[in-house]
Amino acid sequence: MRALKVAMVLVGLALCGGLALAQAQALHSSPPKYSADGLYNLANSYARAGKPGLAVLNYERAALLAPDDADINANLEYVRASAHVAVEPRGRLARIALAVNPACAAWAGVAGIILAGLGMLAKRIGRRFQWARVVSVLIGAALIALAVSNAMLMWPRMHEAVVLINQTPARVSPVPMGDTAFELPEAETVTITAAHEDFALIRTRSGRTGWVSRANLGAVVPQTRG
Amino acid sequence: MWAWTVQRGRVIVAIFCLLAPVNYVTAQEELAYETIQPSHIRLGESATLRVTSLSGELKNVTLPAVSGLSFEEIGRSQGLEFVGGTSLPSSSILIRVTPQMAGIFSIPGLTPKSQPVVLDVVNADDVSALGAPKRAVTPTPPLVTTAPLPKGVELKAGGAAFVHLVIPRHEVYVGESVPVDIEVGVRPGIVTSLNGLPTLNGGEFTLNNLSRQPERRDKVIDGNPFLVMTWHSVLAAVKPGDFSLSVDTPLTVKINSRSAEDMAFAAWLGGPFLQSMYNGIAPKEVTITSPSTELKVLALPMEGRPKDFSGAVGDFQVSSDISPARAAAGDPLTLRLRVSGAGNFDRVDPSMFDHLDHWKTYPAKSSFTPGDAVGYKGEKVFEQPLIAAQSGEQSIPGLELSYFNPNTRRYERAHTPPIKVTIATSLADSSLSAPVEAQSPNGAAASRFAQGLRPDHPSPQISTSELRPLYFQVPFLAAEATLALILAGSWFAVRPNPARATSKRAARTLAQLDEAARGGDSSSFFDVARNALLQAFAARWNVSPDQITSAELRSRLGTVGEDVERLFALADEAKYSDHQPGSTDFRRWLNLIRGQLLGEGK
Repeated sequence: MRALKVAMVLVGLALCGGLALAQAQALHSSPPKYSADGLYNLANSYARAGKPGLAVLNYERAALLAPDDADINANLEYVRASAHVAVEPRGRLARIALAVNPACAAWAGVAGIILAGLGMLAKRIGRRFQWARVVSVLIGAALIALAVSNAMLMWPRMHEAVVLINQTPARVSPVPMGDTAFELPEAETVTITAAHEDFALIRTRSGRTGWVSRANLGAVVPQTRG
Repeated sequence: MWAWTVQRGRVIVAIFCLLAPVNYVTAQEELAYETIQPSHIRLGESATLRVTSLSGELKNVTLPAVSGLSFEEIGRSQGLEFVGGTSLPSSSILIRVTPQMAGIFSIPGLTPKSQPVVLDVVNADDVSALGAPKRAVTPTPPLVTTAPLPKGVELKAGGAAFVHLVIPRHEVYVGESVPVDIEVGVRPGIVTSLNGLPTLNGGEFTLNNLSRQPERRDKVIDGNPFLVMTWHSVLAAVKPGDFSLSVDTPLTVKINSRSAEDMAFAAWLGGPFLQSMYNGIAPKEVTITSPSTELKVLALPMEGRPKDFSGAVGDFQVSSDISPARAAAGDPLTLRLRVSGAGNFDRVDPSMFDHLDHWKTYPAKSSFTPGDAVGYKGEKVFEQPLIAAQSGEQSIPGLELSYFNPNTRRYERAHTPPIKVTIATSLADSSLSAPVEAQSPNGAAASRFAQGLRPDHPSPQISTSELRPLYFQVPFLAAEATLALILAGSWFAVRPNPARATSKRAARTLAQLDEAARGGDSSSFFDVARNALLQAFAARWNVSPDQITSAELRSRLGTVGEDVERLFALADEAKYSDHQPGSTDFRRWLNLIRGQLLGEGK
């Protein structure tokens, strides 16, 4: 029993330490500035001002914080359709995994690690409450799988950006005088695959690639805060 | 009688004269030549290139490749040609030549012995071009001026042509561009073709490309009509010194190859037919040279030479601008430096910005727009892309160009004033600030997007400082990893310990024995004790409890074995009799059992 108690104490300490570290970093970096509702309202104001690029960018950011918000998704689709930007439909599995708030998925992963770990630890210590141990391990594994799948589906969005200027030239080389390979419409979402100085190598949903000035793109997840 | 004799003598002489050129022609090597008719055409028209061979049937020829001309074989012909009064069988190939652009084209010879021909093509709307085949329905006579031969110039090629190099100055600096004119005068009909463009003698000078299309004038010089063509170009000296310059021009001229006595004899023969067969006129290629012109080339002075002098010699003016004047941080802007004036623009290379604080600079590129036919005057524009790194009112320093002005004979420096430019915050950076809807210029687009929007949400209550999900944040990942590591470590740390299990079992057994001793239940005491000891010995010695014998107990435990054996005997006795040991006996046996169960014995 004493070993179990020690393990529990260590787990608690680790949790408390991690949370304290995360909280301290958040407090020291910058004051809170993102909220799903705030970003949604901001996106609405941009849409009303006739700026679909900035509207889609803020809808995308709001959807990161609240992926199951019906208003955010509805307005995002509406603005994209109004800007004549094609939308790639998501699969059922992706919809399920992305329906969970990423923050909740992250904490669910932590809970899964604790449940699975304690269940296996209890089996190691004694033989009583076998059903509880099995259930604990199963639930823990399910929570971990949920968090991992959510993270895997969310990972590409970490590198997505929205075109903010209509007819943004995608050049063949990362210099301002480079030849234009094609033009991007405003509000199109692209994937950034590389960067060189003031230019980003982007890939569209149709698979075309080109170098675009970073000033014409808005990263869905800003790389630098401030 | 005398008249009859004279007439007969003339006939005999004529027969001899007819036979003589046959030997002359047959002694020649393979004879082939090319002509192009007309040699001056307008854009949109075609000329016919005729390749003629006088030494048998002409085989297939390879059509030449001349940039700006297309060639098409349109037919063949055979016939007789009179050369020096002799009829020779000829074979010709006719090729249609169609130009795609105006200019003077040199068409290389299509047979090994033939010489190149020149085709002059003028624009369709060029009313000044001479020799235009299709003029107005009521042609106006060309304006012909009478002029003397330029001073110092002599007629060449039997008075059929002249060439003149016109240099406005006779003292120039190294690298300085000097506009020059090359005049070539030819007598139409006698000079059949130009076989190439005029070329400069002397390697100390460079002559830029001649103007594609020479100016043409008809002049009467010394009572003879001349077509005077003037090319414009730019001359530049590569080293200092005193030089004399001249120009060569290749021509084809019809020259009478007969002596004066022969011509007199031909006239004596009388009759146009006999004269035409004996006139001796044949095309001949000649190269005429202009009179030499003295030119003094001065070295550029070392005194006062700026460090950034790149070799520009001339008279230049500079100006600069930037576009757009208002931009957002990160947007590319174009800084333009315009250098205009006259001089050697190829050496005009102002140093654009390699580095500018708060700006990202890129290499500049240049373009030149000539202001005249030879590029002596014009405007050179340098374009340098810049990207502002920070927002606010920015000032771009002025640009400078150092050059040598041959008119003032000293180095000069042209400046441009600094340029102010307003840089706004980039769209990406301002994406979190609400737009000023009232200032939105695109009202139609705004209404289009606003119609189907769902309403705003109430004021937000929960906010976060990071859009990146927790599981992609390093502190959170570190905490998770630490947690998993601790759990894994605990799992290894609490691995089941057989000794600990034995000790727990022993403790339980001792508690039972103690309880039986306190109750005086000897039967239960010894029974429990024997079973516990047998289990303990069996586990310790890895044997079955049934295999443990008295001998083994004594051999493994020594004297203690005898006590254990005694305990087993008492257990049997207590089971089948009413033997009740005293409290002292129970304590002694308890000590013995505790010692064995807790591993104190072997």
